Amino acid sequence: MHPSLEAFALAAGLLALGAALVRRFGFPPLPVYLLTGLLMGHRLPVEELEPLPSLGLLLLLFSVGLEFGPDRLKELSGRATRAGLYDALALPLGFLLGLLAGLDPRGAALLAGIIYISSSAVIVKLIIDLRRAANPESEVVLGVLVLEDLVIALLLALLGGHGPGGVLAGVLLALAYLAFARLLGPHLVRLMESFSDELVLLLGAAFTTGTALLFHALGASEGVGAFLSGMVAASLGLRERLERLFGPVRDLGVALFFLVVGAEATGLLRGLTPVGAGLALLGLLLKLPLNHLGGARAGLGRKRRLYAALYLLPRGEFNLVLGSLALAQGYPLVAQVAVLMVLLSVPLGALLIRFAPEIGKALFPPEKKARAAAKAG
Amino acid sequence: MKVEEVALPGVGRKFTITMASGDRLVIVVHSSGKRELQYFEAGEDDEPRAALDLTDEEAREVGAILAGVLFHPEAVGDTQSKLGQKVIEWIKVLPGSRLAGKRVGEIPLPPGAHLLAVDRPGAPLVPNPGPEVVLELGDTLVVAGTREAVEALKRSL
Repeated sequence: MHPSLEAFALAAGLLALGAALVRRFGFPPLPVYLLTGLLMGHRLPVEELEPLPSLGLLLLLFSVGLEFGPDRLKELSGRATRAGLYDALALPLGFLLGLLAGLDPRGAALLAGIIYISSSAVIVKLIIDLRRAANPESEVVLGVLVLEDLVIALLLALLGGHGPGGVLAGVLLALAYLAFARLLGPHLVRLMESFSDELVLLLGAAFTTGTALLFHALGASEGVGAFLSGMVAASLGLRERLERLFGPVRDLGVALFFLVVGAEATGLLRGLTPVGAGLALLGLLLKLPLNHLGGARAGLGRKRRLYAALYLLPRGEFNLVLGSLALAQGYPLVAQVAVLMVLLSVPLGALLIRFAPEIGKALFPPEKKARAAAKAG
Repeated sequence: MKVEEVALPGVGRKFTITMASGDRLVIVVHSSGKRELQYFEAGEDDEPRAALDLTDEEAREVGAILAGVLFHPEAVGDTQSKLGQKVIEWIKVLPGSRLAGKRVGEIPLPPGAHLLAVDRPGAPLVPNPGPEVVLELGDTLVVAGTREAVEALKRSL
């Protein structure tokens, strides 16, 4: 038997145990994966789990591309766009914050991206798990996430390359993919429909990982590659089918990915300076008023705009992609901020979103009903 | 009545239906097939009065009842009440179904039940399918006839 199976069984068992524990309290499992990694990581041979965690991240970015691709822009309501514009103010503010902390422009831009981007994957999962999909604030939040993901994919394409050659190669390759989807798309759609589910699953997996490798080989960001493959797959009309086929595989990989992030965080966060901790906290706080204001501009009521601001707290996949990029490009401080933000915001965000209705009720007691009741009495 | 539709990326689609009475019904169709329903009373925007989750199958049944396919109330009118004894059913060929791979000629249609069409995802509708048409997973059979016959057919599958 291969020794990695032992590591896998141990990890899966721990994750299942954690998920089962929080399930009793009606809590989403994602933060538990992170915490499990943080607490048990030093005893787990996480290296042995590869390639599942890496695959999990790629499939996660693929899913984000699949669901949050540019074709969603057409369906975006004016309300969500207005909220998204306020949200985007986090970019210049984050950039400024980075410069003030003594980073050069490139490091500051990476930091700005990390502060700006919320995790579509985590937030969508929380919205579904906590049954908030029908609420008006969810519509605005998901619209904001569409804009965020596109902006950050562009940012990653610009910052992810090794030197100008890498950037150029990345942009050209992205354009080639989109042109390919546009030209051959209609023919491929018909062909794909005749393929069996198994074939589509294998083709999708090969396409995603292959694209990521190709981008990496050209010196561009592999995260953008995975995101782009999702966009291409969506334009081929495979959105529902791949979402259904990839779902379980991705969820398993993502659980392990978050476990590994938690496990590796202890090493990375050793030597964390007060500046790093301060930047992470400021980064989390920075977006709350912006999103609250954006929610108001999107026409949400006072309770709902508070919810919208809380919903956008969790950071995740793209922050970690940007963080590992920052580490590779020699900005360990930025990488620490990214990991710390994810580590703090996922459990905290889950908690705040879970109790958002209670918080709303405490802050804004339902006057109207009280008055009506008084009148009736 | 006013119906608004928006996409919820990563979740599905949301339909907001405002009735003439001012009451609102919010329906979220998840990509997973789950349906989430929320009912808001007129003038009440904040908290839903009621919420309901339906599976894909339950939602289809409820939808058929709402559309009056399964049961036509007498009040609807004369022509339709005569039709009340007849029903139209959509039967999907699910994994594990005995229908997959069978030819239309081999379906045990009880007397009084008729196969109107076969709907294959991504292909044009096959109206009045001949006996040589082979059924595939994911096909939807459109069957009409007396309620007893259609129910009997559904049971036999």
